[in-house]
Amino acid sequence: MQQKTITVVIDEKGNSSVDLDGFAGQGCEKVLKDFQGQDRATMERKKSAFYSQTGSVRENLRRSAQ
Amino acid sequence: MSAYGEFETVMCDEKHLVDGLAEMGYRVEVHPEGSHLVGYHGDERPERAHVIIRRAELDSASNDIGFVRGTDGRFRAILSEYDRSIGFNDQWLGKVHQHYKEEQTLAAAKAKGYILRGREVIQTPNGPQIRLQFVAR
Repeated sequence: MQQKTITVVIDEKGNSSVDLDGFAGQGCEKVLKDFQGQDRATMERKKSAFYSQTGSVRENLRRSAQ
Repeated sequence: MSAYGEFETVMCDEKHLVDGLAEMGYRVEVHPEGSHLVGYHGDERPERAHVIIRRAELDSASNDIGFVRGTDGRFRAILSEYDRSIGFNDQWLGKVHQHYKEEQTLAAAKAKGYILRGREVIQTPNGPQIRLQFVAR
């Protein structure tokens, strides 16, 4: 099972980015909120890993159906 | 699902502000009702603040630096033109925000049960960045 990691980078102005890896399902939105606190979100997105993971699941399903 | 977010730091927690300033080496005064700032002549200035770095902690010709909590709950800095000109400028305020955010992040992570795995300072052309890595239980 992939480890769930959270990487927070705080830049020289004090603004931050939060990068989540290894999370499954909607739980990662809660994790983002945990680290956002009362800060204002300027950008949020799902990472490409999410889409490639979805794609590989789809591919596995297609193969198992053959 | 993995995700990425960017956030603008909002300083609204007094404890993290005080702890962040302490990390920068300042002893601060906290005045829940606010207190007047003092100018470099020892004169009482009209501005009031809730968190104050007294001028003795700063340059010999400095005024007090204050952080006043606004009606929106956010702290904003009160800095004289002189103090801005000797280095207590936007770059310095950025460091205050950076230390605040680190304190806030570590406290939030601890409260929510995340485990700190590493901290490193990354030097960039714009200044140092702090990188914190956590794992979820």
